[in-house]
This record gives sequence, C-alpha cells and structure tokens, in this order.
Amino acid sequence: MELTEQFILLQAPNPAAAENGRKLSRKGSFSAHQRTEDNAVFWAECAGSGKNPYRTSIDWTDPAAPVCRCSCPSRQFPCKHALGLMFEQLAGKEFAPAELPQDLAEKREKQAARAAKKEASKESAPAKPKKANTAAQKKKLARQLEGLDRAEQMVNDLLTSGVGALAGTSAQTYDKLAKDLGGYYLTGPQTAFSRLALTVRTMQKSPDQAEASAAEALRILIALHSTIRKSRVFLEAKLEAGQYSAEDTVLFEALGGVWRLEDLHAIGAFRENARLVQLSFDVSYDEARREYIDRGWWLDLDGGQIDQTLNYRPVKALKYVKAEDSCFELLEVPTLYTYPGEGDRRIRWDGAVSRPLRPEEQAKLPGLAQPDLATAVKLVKGRIKNTLLPKFMAVLVPIGRMGMVGDVFVLEDPKGGRIVLRDRPEDGADHASTARLGMLPEPVPEGSALFGLMFYDGRDRSLCLHPYSVVTPEHIIRLLY
Amino acid sequence: MNLQPLYDVKDRLEHAAIAGTGLLPEDFRLRRAADSLKPLAEASPVFAKLSAGVEKLLSAPPEVRGGQLLDVLALADAVAYTQGSAGMAGDLAPLPTGGGTYVQISCGQIQPLLTALTTTGSGRVETATSAWEVHPEFFTDFRVLPALISGLGDSYGEMADRNAKILKELGPVVVPLLKKDLDPAGNRAMARRVEVITAIQGAEASPWLRSLLPDAKKDVREAVITALGADPENTGLLLDLIKSERGKNREAVLRSLSGLDWDTVKSFWAEELVKNSDSVKFLRDADTDWAAELVASGLRARVEKMLSDGNIPPKDSEDFTCWCCAIGEKTAPAMLEFWQWACGRMEAIDRLTTEKGKPVLAGVRLTDNLQEILRHTGPGPLRDFCLTLWDSHPEMSRYLYISFQAALLSRPAAEVYETYSPYLLTEEPATDTERKKTLNTVLLRAFGAVRWSSQNGQYCVSGGQSTAGPLDCRWIERFTQAVYTDLPRTGGSPFAYYWEDVAEFDRTLMRLVNPEDGENRKLLIPYLRKRMEKTGQAYHYSRWLLQLGGSPRGMFGKAMAKNSSANHLYVVWNLMDEAAKVLPAEEVAALLEEFMAAGAARKQALAQFQKAIPWTIEQLRAGRPFPEWDDWQNVIK
Repeated sequence: MELTEQFILLQAPNPAAAENGRKLSRKGSFSAHQRTEDNAVFWAECAGSGKNPYRTSIDWTDPAAPVCRCSCPSRQFPCKHALGLMFEQLAGKEFAPAELPQDLAEKREKQAARAAKKEASKESAPAKPKKANTAAQKKKLARQLEGLDRAEQMVNDLLTSGVGALAGTSAQTYDKLAKDLGGYYLTGPQTAFSRLALTVRTMQKSPDQAEASAAEALRILIALHSTIRKSRVFLEAKLEAGQYSAEDTVLFEALGGVWRLEDLHAIGAFRENARLVQLSFDVSYDEARREYIDRGWWLDLDGGQIDQTLNYRPVKALKYVKAEDSCFELLEVPTLYTYPGEGDRRIRWDGAVSRPLRPEEQAKLPGLAQPDLATAVKLVKGRIKNTLLPKFMAVLVPIGRMGMVGDVFVLEDPKGGRIVLRDRPEDGADHASTARLGMLPEPVPEGSALFGLMFYDGRDRSLCLHPYSVVTPEHIIRLLY
Repeated sequence: MNLQPLYDVKDRLEHAAIAGTGLLPEDFRLRRAADSLKPLAEASPVFAKLSAGVEKLLSAPPEVRGGQLLDVLALADAVAYTQGSAGMAGDLAPLPTGGGTYVQISCGQIQPLLTALTTTGSGRVETATSAWEVHPEFFTDFRVLPALISGLGDSYGEMADRNAKILKELGPVVVPLLKKDLDPAGNRAMARRVEVITAIQGAEASPWLRSLLPDAKKDVREAVITALGADPENTGLLLDLIKSERGKNREAVLRSLSGLDWDTVKSFWAEELVKNSDSVKFLRDADTDWAAELVASGLRARVEKMLSDGNIPPKDSEDFTCWCCAIGEKTAPAMLEFWQWACGRMEAIDRLTTEKGKPVLAGVRLTDNLQEILRHTGPGPLRDFCLTLWDSHPEMSRYLYISFQAALLSRPAAEVYETYSPYLLTEEPATDTERKKTLNTVLLRAFGAVRWSSQNGQYCVSGGQSTAGPLDCRWIERFTQAVYTDLPRTGGSPFAYYWEDVAEFDRTLMRLVNPEDGENRKLLIPYLRKRMEKTGQAYHYSRWLLQLGGSPRGMFGKAMAKNSSANHLYVVWNLMDEAAKVLPAEEVAALLEEFMAAGAARKQALAQFQKAIPWTIEQLRAGRPFPEWDDWQNVIK
C-alpha cells in the first residue's frame, strides 16, 4: 500500500498531533533512520525535550493498520513522534537496512502470539451470548418509567408558567433537573433539559434574542414531550411482555440507549459487502452534551442510500478519542451496521478496506440521486413531521440548472422543479456553504447532482436545501469539508 | 388553499406556550384563530384533527393543558411541514465561476486554516504560515481563497500583512477575485487589495488604477496614488495630483514621484524642497542620480550655512536631521563628492553648537550615516573612499572605525591585521597614552560589530555583509594580551545568568570565536580559565569553556563558591547537564566533587545538594548517564 499524507492524517488522534509530527519531521528531529530488510518495520530516534531521544518505530506488517511504538510518555496514540516518523517515510528519507533491535523483536513476537491466541479462541469456541440479567433490566425499566413521570411533571410545570418565564428563572435549576434525570437512565431527556438550561442562559445573556430562544425552547419541549409520551408506551409494553433486549426503534436511542454492534447484528440491522463513498464531512460542537461530533455523509454505491457516521468526542476525553476526518477513497465494508430510523440513518462498521474510487464508479454517483426534487421534498416532509427525528434530511438531488434569482441561490432539477439553496441557521456560521456555489472553479457539468440537507425554514414556510457537495461525473466538489 | 388560518393557529399556540397555559381559557385570539380554522377542517381530515385538538385544549382542565398544548403544537408543526412550499419563480441567472481551484483537502487540514483566516485569537499566524510552507496549493482552493482575501482586513496587522504576502506570491490567478467587489471608498482591507494587485501586475495595473482614482477615497486613494508610481507613464498624472491632493494623499504622491526618473520630476522636486524642506524624507529610498544630487547639494548648503552662521537654532538642527535621514543608502557620485567635502571639514562640523551652546553633533550624525551605507552597500567608490579615510585624516579617531570595517569587508585578513593590530594595545604605551587608549577603544568598538556566524560559516559585519576573509587568528591572541579592555555595555548576555555582569570586552571577544577552530580553542581555553578565576563568574566562563571543549576543573569550586547564594539546585543541575554532554563522566563527577568540597552549595538548599550530588557522582561512576532533572527531584524528596 502506498503511504499518503491522507493516510497519515487518518491515523492521527487529532489534526494537532499530525501537525506536530510534521513539524518534528521538517525541523530534522529524527536521526538514526533504520528499517528491516523486508520493509516491515521502520524505526528512528527522535529528539525530545529530555536528554535522551525517544525511540520510535512503525510496524507495517498490516499496511492498513500500522503498529506504532514510542518510548515517549504521551498518552495520545499514535503519538506525534510516530506520526513524524511516517512523515519521514513520506518525505522519502533514507532508512538504512539493519537488524531489528532485540526489544522491538520481542514486542512483535508477543503481539503476534496475542493475535494468534485470540484467533484460536475465536475458532475453537464462538463467543457465548451474554446472559441477560432480567431482574436488573426490569428494575431499570421501572426506574426509567419513574423518570419519565418526573420529566413530564417538569414539562407541565414549565408550560403552566410559560416558556417566556424561563428568562426569569435560574439556568442552574434546569442543570439540576438534568442532573437528577441521570439517576433514571434517561440520558436523552437529560440532554433536553441541558439544552433548556442553555436557552435560559442565552435569554439572560442576550435579551434581544429572547424570542428566538423561546422558540428554540418550545421546539425542545415538543420533542421532549413526544419522547416521554411514546417512550412510556414503549417501556410499559416491554415491561408487560418481559422483553428487555434492544429493539429496532429510534426510541431506544432517544431515551439514551447506546447500541453495540452485536445488538445491531442481533436485530438484523446490518448489510454485507457495502461500498461507500463519502459525500461530505463536518465537525460541530454540541454545547449541551459538551462534545464534538464528527459527521460523515456516505453514499452506498449499490443501494443509493445516504447514511451518516457520527463520532462523539466529549470535551473531557478529547485527548483519548480519535478524531475522524474527511475520506476521499471508496470504502469496502464487509459488514455495515445501521441504526434504527428513517432516511440518512447512522451507520458503523468494525473494519473496512479503502481504495481509490474508479472513474466509472465516480461517473455513476450522480445517477444515484433522487429522480427529481418533488420526490425528495415528499420524502423529507414525511421524515421531518416525526417529532422524534431531526428536522432535516440528507438528500442527493439531480441538477438541471443552478443559478440565482436576484440574490437567492436556486436549484432547478431536470424536470423544472426548483428549490431555494440556503444555509441552515442551526448549523452555524462555520457550516456556511451556499455562497461558495458562486465561486466554483468551473461551471457544473451536465448530469451532476447536489448533495445537501433539506430542511423546513419557518421564516418563509418553505423547504430549502443547504448544499454540502456538488457531485459531478468526474469528482465530488466539497463545499464544506 | 388559503393556509393562513393554519399559521394563525400555530402562532397563537406558540404564544400560549410562551405566556403559560394558565391563561389559555381567556385567550380570545386563540379562540378566534380556532374558529377561522373550521372551514379548512371541513375540507381536510388533518385540519379537522388539528381543529379538534385545539377545541379539546381550550376546554381541558389545567393539569393536562401542558401536555395537550404540546401535542397540538406538534401536530400543527407537522401539518405546516407537509404544507411547506419549495422553489422560487423568476429568471435564473447562471452562477459566476472562477473563484479559485478545487483541492482535495481534508477537514483536519482545511478547518484550522479557515479558522485561522476568519476568526481572532492567538496562534493564527503560525497556522497560516505553516500551511503556506507545506501546502501552498491549499490557498488557491475556492473555499480558502475568499477567506484569504477577506483576511486582508484582519484586525491583527501581522495577519493581514501575511495574507497580503501570500496573495502576492499566488500571482495573477488572484487578481480577478481581488478586483471583484472592491469598494473604492472602502477601508484598509480594500487598500491592501490595491497594494496586492499592483505588486502582482506592476505597471500593467495602471489603466485600472487610473479608472479607480475618481471614486477612490481615504486609504484606497492613498494606496492607488502610491501604486501609480510604479508606472513612469503616470508621471504627468502624479504631477497634476500634487496640486490637488492634501495630507496623506499628498504624501503618497510625493512617495510615488520619488521613484520616477524624469527631468520634469527632478524640476518638481527641486521646487518642492525649496518650498517644503521636510518633503526630503520621501527621497530616503530614492536611488536615482537626481535624488542623490538634490540631497547632496541640499545637505552641503545646510552644512555651509551652519558653518558660516554658528549658533544653530533648533529649527535648523531639526531640518539638518531630516536631510541626514534622506541620505538613505545613496552611493551615487554626487553623494561621494559630498562625503569627500564633508569629511575634510569634520573637525569644524563637530564644533557646531546650538544657540544655548550645546553641541549639535552634526559630525557624528553624518559619520553614522556613512557607516550605515558602508555596512549595507557592496564594493564601489564609496567603500574605497572609506578605506582611505583614516589614512587621509588621522586626526579623526572615528574614521579608524570606518576604515577598519571597510578593510574587513574588502582586504585580505593578514593585511587587515598588519595594518590595524598596532591599535590594539598589548602593553602600556610609553608616549601619547591618552590618544592610543582612545584608538584602542575605537578599534574594540569596531570589533563589536563583527561576529562569527556558525550558520553561514563565516565572519559577518552588522548589516549582514560577510568579511572578505576569515579573521586573522592573531587577533584572538592579541585580544588575550590586551591591556586596555574597558568597553561600554552594548548588548545582552548570551546566557540567562543575569546576576553575572560579564565584561563587554569578553563578550566582544567570544563573538569573534569560531568554536570549530583548533587554534582559537587553544588560545582561549587558558584565557577563559584565568578570567573565571579572576572574576568568579563561573556560569558564563564555564559555558564558554564547555563550548570550546575545555573544562573549568581546578577553579570551578572556588569560582562557584564566590557567589554561592546564586547556586540554586536547578541552575547547578542545568550547568552540569550541559557539561555532561561534552565532558567525560569522570570529569563531571570531579567537578561535582569540587563544587561540594568548596562549600559552593546555596545554604538554603544544602541538604538537597547533599542528597543529589553524591548520588549523581555514584551514578556517573557506575557508568550511568547524567540524571534528568526529574531524577534529582525524586532523590531530594
């Protein structure tokens, strides 16, 4: 496999680590470059702040998953020294063939032994299904129901006094309510109350935004009330039926459940041998959850579905959770797990192989768009009216013409249907991309499609499209990342 | 279908949620909206459901109103979504294109760059600079280029300048985008656009600049006028503008005219300098012959006037300073003639005083300018003139400084040594002591502007020029034998040992040393050991010794003990850590033993030293490396 800068960036736990590694390489911090005869292991010394250099190595036995080792005390993995060593390789630095040092050879042997043991145990005895602790699960369901009652009471109290009264209350009250709900295994409603606390803070900090904040609070309450109502029915039915396992419903996650891949497999939410191409990627910050969210939008080359990957990185654990990045290659995924939901569902996978997208595959991408705008609009309307689902949907729509009516960007499909192109206000200024359509390097060729998020804009009661990427038969032009 | 009743109901429901459900029964507006929804309810089941929901809400008991209100609102929202329109009528104008290229850049690479270009905060210049060095192609991307152009208005001047520099290097590809939406009456950002376009297009930008001029205001006008100076074709226009422009814009015209080489321009300047003597400052960077002639003749006239008038008023003194600044780095024949004239009258010029009897220092100002030109310009008649200045005017000690530096820049090392070494005294003079001491000091000060550059592997004179050859090694020997070493302080210490006030003479000497030169090392190690013993400034001299491969052993303990209160545990560890990098382990152990034996440890940290040093000696003698600072901290716990 050819080493590319993109590959190195994907290995990095965060962009800063990659940049620091690059700087180490550029300023000549590495010395004593060596490699094994078979090019399987590369190692070198890297000058650090201490007297003795760090000893850094990369084992390329599996080119898709290199094993990085370093004597530095960093808890980031791979550390900047290992990434720097990759940049040394990328820069074509001379690595002298040498005998593998004893300590490295021992570590490699141990790792190979561990992998062999794991493989052998897998083959000899397939993993036993975990025995469910029904009593504990029953207790948890009952506790969740109690929590729902409490949350409903909070919502009713709030509505009695009116959302407008929020500005006069303390944000800490809602923080406390959110904290209290933590004891009821209801992380979904808990987050909703954290969001309410945030709107209270905004109302108090910026009285001129009070109206918008009240509208936001109302949207949160509508979704929360709906979650409470539907969840109660769902949990009571489960309790009555004595069925405690995860189910194929969005309510599980709305309540705060966390899907494991084996659970998704158990409910049949997976497909095999999927081929995926990333249409867009972005990073946003959720203040209520205090975490960064890396979101990738993927197009399935065979089925034409658009799905999303979500990588949550809590601020508290930022150093230890690897950030995801844009992917420009095609991914071949042996088993692709899909979360319950409608349209642009969340997807995950355990392992995937990447390769460059072939021109004939690229040429087919615009053909996977919706037949026309009307169909896409109908799909989106059907999806956003569900109170438990986001008020937008990712769509790929065919481009007939793109242009401007006055100063408004408009997309016209080949059948003449039109939609206004506009940034979704909730996405924030860092996601502004519509204006970039007016700066494209060249005219969009015929047979292209536009990928973006379709949403309802209450300001003019219309459906609009926030453009993310232009998909042409030759390439994907990302308006964002 | 008229959907207004739906939106009215939704609006009233939202108001009810904001006002509180306690007021619902009295909400006549909601009642009215509910009534107006009825015709729609008859037409469609979904509206009927909504209408029924509102009726139910209005008659609901207080304890369930909250839930019912949210249910009805959710339904109203859902209906509003499904009724949402899409599209926009009207003529579709094609999208503009050509806003840059498309580069496949990952989020991890582009997002920090865009953040650096579009936000505020520290570290942005570093991010942009690093991206420019590694991936210049990113900057032509259609997502980055507009941000880079907007960044010309960055509130942090360094960032805005950096962006301008990058845009200039990107070249003609950015010009259309810079011209697009350029506001001639705009702010500094727009002025920077003009500067970038002119830097890229040079004289080619003239027609565009001329078209911009009528509407250009404030900063943009100043930038346009300055830019017009890049094209000699604009001379007429600039000469017209000088009549109408005022303030900064007039200064911009003067700046532009200073670079043009036409007879009409020379005539203008001759008149201008008569009317506004201050304007001469704009000729500082002008390198035309006419500018040199005007400055030289103007200066000469002023010096002559001062010499004839005596008792110089402050106004004339300031005017003279302004004209001295205008000398810049001019080397034209007219300027050389001026120097020949002025240097012959330097003693008289030096005697000039103000009305209050204070010296004007006109001679010093002039010779300082001459030194600057010598340091910044290459070989030529002016350097040749400087070379002979001291020989032709031996009464002026300051010419020794100039001629010596000119010699370093142009003559072989041995010749320089033979000519100038007698001025560096190695024994007390029998006669004419004061003058010889003065010349000794002048020469040492001239050496203060010379240093060994390990980066370039050669000697350099302040200003960046390298000497004609390496410094003759005999200079180092002569320095070590010098008898008069007093020099005023001119710079900081090379090491952060602020409590040691090391003599400027030794600093000057150490700047001349090439550590790789064996002869230098041989001469200096004994000298430095002697100086260390004499001054007790152990940190500086130990470091210098270590740099030259020597060791302070023998006088280290005694020198360290002279100021034991400065010997904090960390600074001692730091020095010994440095020593361990160049000296054998046994030598380091011996130094540590010497330190303890001399009682050099800081009293307050004695117990810590008593733990750390014997342990370190033991480690070194056991063949282990010199410990890290963390190890010392662990040992003293």
